Amino acid sequence: MDTYTVLLILRIALVAILYLVILRVVAVARREMKLVERAPAAVTRGKDIVGHLVVIDSGSTVLRPGARLDVEPITTIGRSPTNTIVLDSTFVSTEHTRILFRDRSLWVEDMNSRNGTLVDQNRISEPVAVTPGTILQVGDVRFKFAI
Amino acid sequence: MIYRRRYRWTEMGLLLFPAAFMAVALIELQLAQNASTLLTRNILNPLDTLGPAIGLVFALAVTHVLLNLFAPDSDQTLLPIAGMLASIGVIMAIRIGSSPGFDVLSLGAKQLAWVILGLGFCVGTVILTRDLRWVRNYKYTWAVVGLALVGVTLVNAIRTFNTNAPSRDVLTIGAGGLSFQPSELVKICLVVFFAGYLSENQEMLTAGSIPIGAIKLPPLKQLGPLLFMLGLALIIAVGIRELGLALLIFGMVLSMTYAATSRKVYVFGGLALFTVGAVIAFSVFSYARVRLNIVSNAFDPNVATNSGYQIVQGLIAFGSGGVFGSGLGLGHPTFIPASNTDYIAAAFGEEFGFAGLLALLGLFMLLVFRGMFVALRSRDSFNQLMAVGLTSVFALQTLVIVAGNLKLMPLTGVPLPFVAYGGSSVVANFIIIGFLLRLSEKKT
Repeated sequence: MDTYTVLLILRIALVAILYLVILRVVAVARREMKLVERAPAAVTRGKDIVGHLVVIDSGSTVLRPGARLDVEPITTIGRSPTNTIVLDSTFVSTEHTRILFRDRSLWVEDMNSRNGTLVDQNRISEPVAVTPGTILQVGDVRFKFAI
Repeated sequence: MIYRRRYRWTEMGLLLFPAAFMAVALIELQLAQNASTLLTRNILNPLDTLGPAIGLVFALAVTHVLLNLFAPDSDQTLLPIAGMLASIGVIMAIRIGSSPGFDVLSLGAKQLAWVILGLGFCVGTVILTRDLRWVRNYKYTWAVVGLALVGVTLVNAIRTFNTNAPSRDVLTIGAGGLSFQPSELVKICLVVFFAGYLSENQEMLTAGSIPIGAIKLPPLKQLGPLLFMLGLALIIAVGIRELGLALLIFGMVLSMTYAATSRKVYVFGGLALFTVGAVIAFSVFSYARVRLNIVSNAFDPNVATNSGYQIVQGLIAFGSGGVFGSGLGLGHPTFIPASNTDYIAAAFGEEFGFAGLLALLGLFMLLVFRGMFVALRSRDSFNQLMAVGLTSVFALQTLVIVAGNLKLMPLTGVPLPFVAYGGSSVVANFIIIGFLLRLSEKKT
């Protein structure tokens, strides 16, 4: 082999190394992105938010008054960890209240809870449409609807 | 990081590539010396080639070990990408330094010294920013430091005032020809300050309160620093004539503001301001007209032999490289003036060809991608904005200088990150890598 052939091979090898680095880094990045997708933090990022609940009175829960909680098209509130909004209070039933997004408006529905759901101080028996500013009471926790 | 690894194996594996690149490039350089068609040629002795190559690999390995100790959960791809780019820089410095007509055989060793200094600063940044809060708390101090650096440059520029030449913002410190470009550190200071300001006023800037037509502008208190940054870019463009730095600050401010507010009004408003500024600059400053004339009439016989000489030589270099390049050590990159600094992309393009240049741009793209990924993953808005700002600095620098080399826009003297020869640029870029490494660490 003469020098020029060796030089040609080396030249190709040099550029090949550059591309190999790129491929390796892309592989690492793909692996990490899959991990991020699986992590719960990323799941909450892409969800549909149709409104917020601002905590006014946190009752016996650990919630901070003033905290903003996301309202999704189907939001369940209750003591069970399977709910969208979990309220760890003895006054709250396992599945207490449901908030639905229908016809461009939010509806609050009681799920046959023991202590009932109060919308603007009134105990509800059927789904009620709510607007921003409405006060919602679930057990001993009070929220205000916000956009 | 999502989970804690015991050892940064990924990083170690990726760091093998710069080492392999160095080894292959050295063999090729030695062989090319004998095969070169040039009559006169400086013969590189092993001390000038082997020294920098082994030194670089060693320095990267030491940094890798130190990162294991001080930031075990930080991003593992940033150091290998930067190391790869730095090793391209060192190889190009060795190669250009040995060319006849250039004759600085120790250029590679000098570049290596800067890279080692940069890696030291990178690790130093990682250690010092263990608690990022102090960085944020002193954001006005950072702004003052940045302003002072601009001030120093401004005084220097006025002292050496020359109506036509674009002034150099070089500060010579002491003896030994050690020069330092303050502008390289200015951008880091400004990113930190601006991230602090934006993260505090994010909501006011997004919502706005003063309606002007269909647009709601925030009150002056919130808008002030934004206008101040844009004004600073203007002062740099007019007073120091460092168009590259001005463009960099301008682009950085716009991308950070957009990232913070996701309002397009700031981007389009900024671009409108830029257009107005460019038109005014074009009609007032002769040097702006000269720059534009070079781009539009580069191959005019009158231009190509004097003011457009560099850009034409650069284009010829790209062209003679072809798809696969002339091969390392077999081209004539030193025909281009400033082939080791402003025209490093052209020198690289000639010897590695279009394929190599594409890979180089791919590496920069990955660097930007990883930087933005760091921003996406961080929870705190200050950290996010800082990552966005620092990453946009890399992106804009690469864009401005490579587009300048390719005659896609007027050339402005911005160093190609990590690759171009020059101390302060390499050190500043490694400090940015240090910040990104720290920002990529997830605190629980």
